[in-house]
Amino acid sequence: MMGGRHLARLCALAWVLGAAPSALSAQSSDSLFATGVRAYKNLEFDLAAWLLRRDLAQLTAAGAPATERAAGLVYLGAADLFRGRRDSAAAVFRRLVQLDPRFRPDRLVFPPEVTSLFDGVRLQTKTVTVELPRDTTIVLGPGAFDIWLIASSFQNVDVTLRYADGAPFRALYAGPIGDSLKVQWDGLDAAGAPPPVNRVVLRVASRAPTGELAGIIQVPLDLRLSRPDTLPWPPAPADAQLLPERARSGAAKRSLLGGLLLSSAVAALPAVVGGTDTPSGPRIAVAGTIGVAGLLGYVLHRPGRPLAANVRANQALRDAWQRRVATTTAENARRRREVRVVVRAGEPTAIQPRGP
Amino acid sequence: MRILLVVLAAALTAGQLPGQALHAVGGASLVTTRVRSQVPAGVDQFTGSAFLGQGALALGRVELSASYLQGTINPDGGTATARDLVEGTVLIGVHALDWLTLETGPHARAYTLAGSTQRWLFWELRARAATAFVGSAAQGYAELWRAIAADANVPEPFDHAQGGEVGMILRLARSPLGCRIGYRIDHAVLGGGTRLETVDGVVIGVGLNWR
Repeated sequence: MMGGRHLARLCALAWVLGAAPSALSAQSSDSLFATGVRAYKNLEFDLAAWLLRRDLAQLTAAGAPATERAAGLVYLGAADLFRGRRDSAAAVFRRLVQLDPRFRPDRLVFPPEVTSLFDGVRLQTKTVTVELPRDTTIVLGPGAFDIWLIASSFQNVDVTLRYADGAPFRALYAGPIGDSLKVQWDGLDAAGAPPPVNRVVLRVASRAPTGELAGIIQVPLDLRLSRPDTLPWPPAPADAQLLPERARSGAAKRSLLGGLLLSSAVAALPAVVGGTDTPSGPRIAVAGTIGVAGLLGYVLHRPGRPLAANVRANQALRDAWQRRVATTTAENARRRREVRVVVRAGEPTAIQPRGP
Repeated sequence: MRILLVVLAAALTAGQLPGQALHAVGGASLVTTRVRSQVPAGVDQFTGSAFLGQGALALGRVELSASYLQGTINPDGGTATARDLVEGTVLIGVHALDWLTLETGPHARAYTLAGSTQRWLFWELRARAATAFVGSAAQGYAELWRAIAADANVPEPFDHAQGGEVGMILRLARSPLGCRIGYRIDHAVLGGGTRLETVDGVVIGVGLNWR
């Protein structure tokens, strides 16, 4: 019975290898994956492992997303385990953990043998993934550039920013990480100054509890400083806007001459109309009153006299301008402090000290 | 002549009436009056005081003004008896310039004598100039008029008559109330100078200026 089953499996393999290679090459990755999973479910683990490896090779070459590769890897690991190749299965699972530290096998699909092996590998594999915004702007100092670290298992990490040549730029975090950790960068260098370069590298080094370096993730960060424009100074009140603060001579002269002219007109009125024989007393009284009014007007409007209302109006105008200057000064100071940095993250790269 | 003046006033004010606000002025004054009547037989001179009420309505550049004066004048020595003095004017005018007003209309005057009433009626042409000369508080004015026709129940034929008034109005800031002081004089010549009638006096009063 077993011999017949084995024979059937080999026949199928021969068909795959020989009879239908041209058809296979034309198949899409989805159909390879589906065929591999179907073979796994039919307990044809050798065929499943072979199909899934081809599928993964194609996905890796095509740069497929991690989720697609993870689905193939977990079936491949399970198939290798059931083929009796535990080390190979552990290596596949290690690769899976490094690809996506948050990945967990579906316990309704995979039996405990598979999940326990995966968990064991995950606990031994020290790796992290880095999640950060692709393009963001922060205010230097009070702002924060958020970096999320997702760990495969408990480990120690060193999170640093480095110059492009590898020299340290700013240490952000050194310590343990459980499931995940948020690290923030305020946009400044180690001395608290704006970054002097346009590019730094975010480096996350994972370490085993023994201190041994387990892996490094590096993400290039392009930086661009953005300084907001300052406001122009408000213009000072123009001379045309200011009222004269000292009386000019026009009003005083007008008072004096007007009073004199009217007084003379009163005195001369009888002669003008022809009534010469008139008493002069009432006329002189009226002329004198008007003349006194003119003199009083001259004194009240004497040249150089301070014009209090105009002084107050001008002072209010100057005070308003001073307030605008103070407001602009404060706003400009705030803008000078509020230097922003635009951070654009590149593709992360992983450096593994050991092969899978 | 009267029709000509009315037509002239209408021509000057044409197109100014629409959209203009009514402007009213009123005042009451005490007038010390001296009337001097010189005839070949002698000179009669009377002095006294009278109440003068004045009012004007202006619409745009057109102004209608009226005045009424009533008082008693007493003889300065001599044998003449005391008499009542009544005077009135109704004038229509136009503000030719901001400071210049031209007016025309009748000016009537009556002396109530013991036995009869002496009536004078002048048709006048007036020119009045007014402008502020102490800031906006004191406004000076000067007015001259000349009779272009007259009717009087005196034996002598009318020759000519003219008069004028000069004074100032003091007004507190933003207040419609104003105080007025002025001197006025009228002089009429009849019969080639055989009869001279002169009326002059000081005007002291208060007025209201509504806008």
